[in-house]
Amino acid sequence: MKFQIDKDVFQEALNQVQHVVSNRTTLPILSNVLIEADELGLQLSTTDLDVTITKRIPANISTPGSTTLPARRLASIVRELPTSEIDFEVNEDNAATVRSGPSFFKILGLPSSEFPTIGEFSNAKEFTIDQKLLGDALRKTSYAISTDETRYVLNGVNCLIGDGMLTLVATDGRRLAMVEQDLEFPAGNESGVIIPTKAVHELQRLLGDSGELKVSLTDSQAGFELNDSHLITKLIEGNYPNFRQVIPGDANHRVTVEREILLQAVKRVSLLVNEKTNSIRFTFDDNRLSISANSPEVGEAEESIDVRYDGPKLVVAFNPEFVMAPLRNLSQDEVFIDLIDESSPGVVKIDEPFLYVIMPMRVTN
Amino acid sequence: MHTPVPFPQDDESTKGFLKRLWKVVTKDLKDDLGTSTFDLWLSDFKLVALDQNEVVMRAPGSMYAIWVEENFKETILSHFQKHIADCKSIRFDVATAEQQAKKERKRAAKAKSEKEKSEQVTHLKPKVLVEVASDDKIRRRGLEAGLVETFSFDNFVPGENSELGWAAAKAVAAEPGKTYQPLFFHSPSGLGKTHLLHGIGWESLRLRPRSKVIFVTAEQFANDYIDAIQKNSLMSFRKKYREADLLLIDDVQFLGRKEGLQQEFFHTFNRLADLRKQIVLASDCPATEIVQLEERLVSRFQWGLTAEIHRPGLETRAAILRRKRDDWNMEVSDEMIDSIVERVSGNVRALEGALIRVAMVATMNEEELRPEEVPKVIADICNCEDGKNIGMGEIKKAVAEHYNVDVEILDGKKRTARVAEARQVAMFLIRTLTDFSLVEIAANFGKDHGTVIYAVRKVKKRCEDSPATKNAVELIKRKLARGGTQVESKKTFTRNARPRISSNPEGIDLEGE
Repeated sequence: MKFQIDKDVFQEALNQVQHVVSNRTTLPILSNVLIEADELGLQLSTTDLDVTITKRIPANISTPGSTTLPARRLASIVRELPTSEIDFEVNEDNAATVRSGPSFFKILGLPSSEFPTIGEFSNAKEFTIDQKLLGDALRKTSYAISTDETRYVLNGVNCLIGDGMLTLVATDGRRLAMVEQDLEFPAGNESGVIIPTKAVHELQRLLGDSGELKVSLTDSQAGFELNDSHLITKLIEGNYPNFRQVIPGDANHRVTVEREILLQAVKRVSLLVNEKTNSIRFTFDDNRLSISANSPEVGEAEESIDVRYDGPKLVVAFNPEFVMAPLRNLSQDEVFIDLIDESSPGVVKIDEPFLYVIMPMRVTN
Repeated sequence: MHTPVPFPQDDESTKGFLKRLWKVVTKDLKDDLGTSTFDLWLSDFKLVALDQNEVVMRAPGSMYAIWVEENFKETILSHFQKHIADCKSIRFDVATAEQQAKKERKRAAKAKSEKEKSEQVTHLKPKVLVEVASDDKIRRRGLEAGLVETFSFDNFVPGENSELGWAAAKAVAAEPGKTYQPLFFHSPSGLGKTHLLHGIGWESLRLRPRSKVIFVTAEQFANDYIDAIQKNSLMSFRKKYREADLLLIDDVQFLGRKEGLQQEFFHTFNRLADLRKQIVLASDCPATEIVQLEERLVSRFQWGLTAEIHRPGLETRAAILRRKRDDWNMEVSDEMIDSIVERVSGNVRALEGALIRVAMVATMNEEELRPEEVPKVIADICNCEDGKNIGMGEIKKAVAEHYNVDVEILDGKKRTARVAEARQVAMFLIRTLTDFSLVEIAANFGKDHGTVIYAVRKVKKRCEDSPATKNAVELIKRKLARGGTQVESKKTFTRNARPRISSNPEGIDLEGE
């Protein structure tokens, strides 16, 4: 195999695929990137057996062929190369020589035949969707994914298609984020799948601000094709719980608040959060919201901001991290906080189909 | 708050019991979380089983199960634990379809009838319902609580010295939380405080096998606390201590100077006192003398009954040793014991040590050990332990002899290495073997008390570092022990012998710090 490639193109492609490579793997081949050269150009693939990413890039192919090379190492070499043109040659023992200006590298690889093949898609439901729309929806929900591995069905984003709607949900049992997007799907595509965390993060990396992507779903796998990339992931098997059970009914009170201002205030006050309770107090009263933290060993912090609220005085305690997470990932200027009382869950909303349920902490003393 | 749920008799069904238990816990939960929160999340939960220390609840849906487990698990568990001491964890399962529920019911019924046939504990019938406390179980629970097996009421030898403490211990063990709250023992070390503490624990477990007993030293309590802070698990720390039925804490003097710990302990104390749970404390000094102990704690410690344990009298000492001899199966005659207790007073540990020594010598020697030889065998134990009888002059003389210098030189200003070391060892021995104060010792040597402090510290350190110094000190101690007959009493000494040489009181003292 022999080819010539532009450094920046190669570097960017390696960056996009190398995150899949697992740090600690018992199979050495899984640390490697599969490089295949044919008359159309170069194709790079990485996999951890759950998530596989393939990326096509243009290259000047002299001799077609294939090999695998350590992904991380190759990426760091390419990043440091001095000139923009790279000459690549691999011999039959899978030893690659990389030449760039005065630099010369020899990297030992493994035969491409050892690289696992990705299962074929059959009877997949296929549809296309706007990249930006999916990217936004994932950003608004993915921070709420549970990291508790004992609850594996929650270790991903639940993705429901049906009733002219795309619904994305993530929860860890203490908060829940949901996006409901009106979307017309071809009939017969109704389905519900759980996309695992890693695939969600990789997909977010690939999604752009414009263009569409093609989604293919089977019972056990999902494929996402966009631009020159193709991401295939195993799905989490199991039933996602009926999350609607924890979405509270009608709220009694609505607070309107500027997102940035609230985020900054919570961030500051949370510097003095009590480590034991890990909660900060929100006091809503007559168009004012006062946020306070009190840690007996450290001290206290308080900040008050203007909001729109005309209900009775209400004191609720929340985990500050749980309040900040949606605020960081939304882009609207204004958010609404719907409250029932001190002990019922609060709901963060915006003027788009999104909601975020957050459980209040118990206020002692 | 704490209302024990009556356990069903044999003819009562488990189902009824679970229902009643859930009803009681429901009430507690509503008080704790608020009715609206309870109704929102928990009203459709059912208590379905109590199995192997585990509470099994049936959730109306999987999301409810997850949400409630994440947000209320600890709270719910803690309320169950108030009623079921054994209960360690809680599990939520989900009723998915009615069919499944039916199947479950069928299976449970079948399992129940099978188990009833074999007369074993069914998985639906919690262990606690049929618990008959076997000795083995009590033993296991006691060891789990931190109790030491050898310290029971049975092998405690009460005497006139511990009358009050013994009576109080028995009363508290019989009716925890009803008589003396708290019960506070204090005495110098080795007189049986710890024994009584453990004894109360064992006796209480024997009478109420399901009660939660905790024995810790204040130091363990402190370590637990620090650990909890580090791991950010104060909740479980508090749960552990604040839900005890009987809390036994040894060496509470350790709380002195530790403000954070005192505060935590204060709350634990109040909580237990509020719930009328028994607290028993032991310290090596009265509460008022614990260094830097918050006033509010001092007053609480004095609140119930304070029982001082005195040094045992001659008869009690003899009784203790005879008891030990029998327990340990030693061949030591009553005469020998009498001879020991005449010479070794006070500390029971020293008594035991002397007894072991005598028994050892008796078995090792081919000739029979005669009672009149006993004093020689235990000479060092009695003298060092009862060092009040040794005077400063005596010690100085022995030290001077050992280092081969004149006694007068010790009081002088000469500071060659040998003299300086001899002087420091003399100060150290006087400080450790007698009751003289630093000022008295300093005056005797014509130095200031800082010098004495320094000397004591230095010798102690050197004993740790150099075996030679340690040997020297031990040797002098033994010499002193043997020469114990020509003892100069403290009184006569302090009256007559003021510093002998103090020719240059303004002299620069290089030995001081």
